[in-house]
Amino acid sequence: MDSQILEARIDFHGQSLMEKITKGSLVLITVVAFLAGFVTQSMQYTFAVFGGASAMLALVVLPPWPMYNSHPPTWLPAIVEPGLVVEKTGISK
Amino acid sequence: MHTLLSRVNNASAFMSSCMMTLLAAIAISSFFLGSQPTGEVGISPVKVFAAKGRRHYSGKQDAAFVNFNVTADLAPLFHWNTKQLFVSLEAEYTNMHGVQNTVVIWDKIIRRKQDAQLHIEGGKNKYAFREVSTSFKDVSPASYALKYNLMPYVGVLQYGEIARTSDDVPFPEAQAKVAS
Repeated sequence: MDSQILEARIDFHGQSLMEKITKGSLVLITVVAFLAGFVTQSMQYTFAVFGGASAMLALVVLPPWPMYNSHPPTWLPAIVEPGLVVEKTGISK
Repeated sequence: MHTLLSRVNNASAFMSSCMMTLLAAIAISSFFLGSQPTGEVGISPVKVFAAKGRRHYSGKQDAAFVNFNVTADLAPLFHWNTKQLFVSLEAEYTNMHGVQNTVVIWDKIIRRKQDAQLHIEGGKNKYAFREVSTSFKDVSPASYALKYNLMPYVGVLQYGEIARTSDDVPFPEAQAKVAS
C-alpha cells in the first residue's frame, strides 16, 4: 500500500493529458523566458522565469491530481476456462 | 508516465531539451546585439633604451617605452550576454628579419557597463616591450591598435578592433640607458 502511494499512479487519459500539458507549457515557458530576458537585457530574468515556471509546472503535472484519475479503465471480466490451471504467484489482490 | 518517477523522467527530459534550445537562442541572439564601439588611440614619440637582455643574459636587448592616450566608449558592446571585455593595446610592426610582430603592451578587463568609458592620458606600457631579435634597429614604424575580445556567458568569443593610430609611429635610435 505504501509503495502504491509513492508510485502515484494515474490512468491512461491522465497520462496523455499530463504529456500534452508538459510539452505545451515548457515550449511556452521557453519562449516567454527568452523574451523576458531579451526585453530587459538581463539573463537573470530569463532563468528566473524558466526556473520558477518549471517548478510550478512540476506541481501541476507530477502529483496524481484527481483530474488525471477521472477515467479509470474498465477491464473485461476475467474468463475462467474449465480445466485451466492458474499457477499461484506471489502477487495477491 | 503512469508512475511518479516516470513522470519526473519525462518532464525533466523535455525540460533539459528546452533549456538547451534556450541557451542556443541566447548564443545566437548575441550576433545581432551590440554595435561597433568608438575610440581613439594617440601615441607620443616612442623611446628606446639599450637594456640588459632578459633572454639573452650576456647580451643586450632593446626596451621600448610607449606613452599613449586612449579614449573609447565600449558601452555598445554590453548586452545581456556580455560577461566581460578584454581590451588590449597592440603594437604591430615588421622587424629587421621581415617577421610581422604583434605585441600586447597594455590591457584591461572591463566587467561592468558603468566602467565602459575609457579615458587614459599618459598611459605607459604595462608589459615590457622588447624585440625578440634584441634590437629595434631597422624596424618598420609601428601601428598601434586598440582591440577588444568580448567574452559571453553563453556562446562564442567575439573579437574586434576599436581604434588604430592614423600614422605609423617610428622607433628612434636606441639611447644608452641612464643609470637607474
